[in-house]
Amino acid sequence: MSIPTLEEKLRALKVSAPTAIEEACLAKVSRGDYEIGVQRTADILDEGYEVFMRSCRSSMGIAGDSIVAIFNAAGDLVNASAGTYLHAVIPPIVIKYILSRYRENPGIEDGDIWYTNDALYGGIHNPDQVAIVPVFYDAELIGWTAALSHTTETGAKEPGGMPLSATSRFDEGMNLPPTKIGKNFRLNEDIIELFAAFGIRAEQMVTVDLKARATAADRVRTRLVEMCDREGVDFVRGLFRKMLMEAESGARRRLRAWPDGVYRCVNFSDAAGLERGLIRNCAMTMTKKGDTLLVDFSGTSPENLSSYNAHPQAVVGHLANYIYEYVFHDLPISSATFQPIDFVFPEGSCLSPTPRAATSNSVMICTGAMSAIANCIGRARFATSEWRQVTASMGNGGNASVIAGLSQWNVPFADMLAYPINTEGQGARACCDGMNAYGFPWCAFGRAPDVESMENEFPMLVPFSQHWPDSGGHGKFRGGVGTAQFWSAHHVPMVFFMSIADNSTIQTPQPLFGGYAPPTVPGVTLKGVNVTELVGKLGSTPLDFKSLIEGKYGELVAEPYGRSVRPVGEEQTLTIGLSTGGAGYGDPLERDPRDVERDLVAGLVSEWSATHVYKVVWDPKKERVDLDATAKARADERRARLERGKPFHEFVKGWSEKKPPADVLQLYGSWPDAKPLQPVFRP
Amino acid sequence: MSRTILVGENLAMNVDTERWTCAACTRELGPARENFKHGLLVHERDPREIHPPLIEGPFTFSPDPTWIRILEFYCPGCGVQIETEYLPPGHPVTNTTEIDVDALKRRLGAGELVIENGRLKVVDA
Repeated sequence: MSIPTLEEKLRALKVSAPTAIEEACLAKVSRGDYEIGVQRTADILDEGYEVFMRSCRSSMGIAGDSIVAIFNAAGDLVNASAGTYLHAVIPPIVIKYILSRYRENPGIEDGDIWYTNDALYGGIHNPDQVAIVPVFYDAELIGWTAALSHTTETGAKEPGGMPLSATSRFDEGMNLPPTKIGKNFRLNEDIIELFAAFGIRAEQMVTVDLKARATAADRVRTRLVEMCDREGVDFVRGLFRKMLMEAESGARRRLRAWPDGVYRCVNFSDAAGLERGLIRNCAMTMTKKGDTLLVDFSGTSPENLSSYNAHPQAVVGHLANYIYEYVFHDLPISSATFQPIDFVFPEGSCLSPTPRAATSNSVMICTGAMSAIANCIGRARFATSEWRQVTASMGNGGNASVIAGLSQWNVPFADMLAYPINTEGQGARACCDGMNAYGFPWCAFGRAPDVESMENEFPMLVPFSQHWPDSGGHGKFRGGVGTAQFWSAHHVPMVFFMSIADNSTIQTPQPLFGGYAPPTVPGVTLKGVNVTELVGKLGSTPLDFKSLIEGKYGELVAEPYGRSVRPVGEEQTLTIGLSTGGAGYGDPLERDPRDVERDLVAGLVSEWSATHVYKVVWDPKKERVDLDATAKARADERRARLERGKPFHEFVKGWSEKKPPADVLQLYGSWPDAKPLQPVFRP
Repeated sequence: MSRTILVGENLAMNVDTERWTCAACTRELGPARENFKHGLLVHERDPREIHPPLIEGPFTFSPDPTWIRILEFYCPGCGVQIETEYLPPGHPVTNTTEIDVDALKRRLGAGELVIENGRLKVVDA
């Protein structure tokens, strides 16, 4: 075997040294032509991204949970169109692996189609799959292109590609190391059959997505060849190298502006697959010095016997979600922007597990890293002129629900519902609230489908869809609220349902500068209610979140949001899908009372929160806040804080003697430093 | 005139005196080379007081207080809430912000950085 080591993976994320040819070609790229060239790559990639979305069959592909990218001949990422930024870290590792192992056998040739979905070899988790094609011009390898997206079926032990009950990679279905799956610009038929066999639960979706990746990568390759025809291959080579140089320069310039120092954040989660327990899913120490960052994950809980583990490059990918969206938003999506950033991963942690580990839910364990990086960078950046771009953490719930079976069109399917994941609330911003239902923290540009599209595509009814009140973290600026949707099985005798998430006992995001986190997210269903009959009886009376939760229409069952696969009969509740809100920013007593009034009228915060958290005095009949009474209530609360608050050192004496119950700490590691207590055995 | 930078919504650092200060009331909070939380008042809060249970049972929309608590950090001068941290009971409090004071002074002294309206700005070469 030839699994890339951690050092090799991290090295592959760094930009290769320029070749003599590239250095010579730099002279061919003049000012003006350079800017046009950069825009040309962006246009090519946007075209590829559009082709990709229109060619995909699975919900996440259609939603745009994808990336299309260009690389130089050495495999350095030059630019991309996204989608999902986390995919940006995968192809450089894979391309450099192919170049180092397979140049001679099976060889790298014009017309090749390479493919992988194996996190052990550089991926995020096995639903995330990539097609990579080399770009040749005059028989010379001048670059690579790639298309990546998430397909929610891998032939794992549960449908949907992210099995909660997996305990090792052997439970996770197809894991394909970097493999040549096509030549002469054609996919091999035997490979398509292999994908169909692994994807038998949703064969059409799996094989169409496979072809969509190859199609999108080849479209970009074709346009690059045309660019070489028009501008000259030396210009393209020089352009790629100059783009890398400029991106690195821009990234270093941005980092240099922040004050040197050490910034820390710890985050916790409450489950590993189906096993419940406290996990320190990220202990981040970010050291900023000069124009560099060192991100150290020492202190993160040990790996566990579930699929909630992540290989290190997957963790880096999750940092990329935030970094490309908020920090390097005006730079190309490029390997070079990560050139100044180094990482330390403790071996045997849930963020650097052993090779046999299940990692298909890496995206769930990485929620801590996603939240921590927003917090650490926010603190480093607040003292600078970029302070307005500081945000509290996204909710990072990723509350994904899967339905599977035979659709109303008599087609086998297994898919993830794109609506709840693509309507999370944004973290509150340093100058305003987070956007409500802004998108997917893993895919800022992901599209939430229309209800009618969902009902047309899947055997389900969606009788209710609205913002979820109080789901945004409270603060001077409120986290954007998420959403709630009510789903029932419809048109077919039975569907399979499962749901993937944690955050039902505690929430992972830490708030920022005195705000609060969002609430927890239980998995709730109505027991024994025929939903179609209920909707018929209600007539024009709309359903609402409060009535559903209070059991007005039937007995409510609450359990963890993450639920293993189960059958659901026709017209019965699948679940009330909940999309997490963003974390809050700043002291809630500093929130403008008129903003609380606006939220009350819009139904985004409850009267309880307005009264107890924001200390606003509210007249529900007039729908007005009383500003004078509010000012008095807030002054009273500040005085109460001074009375109940203890000096730090006095507080810590009592605090440090506390500890969670032993049964809560089964997944945590040693208390409180989270070191492994015993090895994890996977036969 | 002393030089101050804003490090949080209600937290500032006086670069010259090397002291943390409250940005709301200007009260001094302690040495800038120590954890700023040492100079604040702390209150341990049951998370259900902020995230009220909406339903009965173990999964209620509210964090479980046996698993997690909210630590609220107040300015001892004016009571503004400068920080919050969600921690399991007894978990060490995090030193979130450890600015390299010497490096900051050096860069300011060299003219590499300037402070404008409490914010650091890079001086272009």
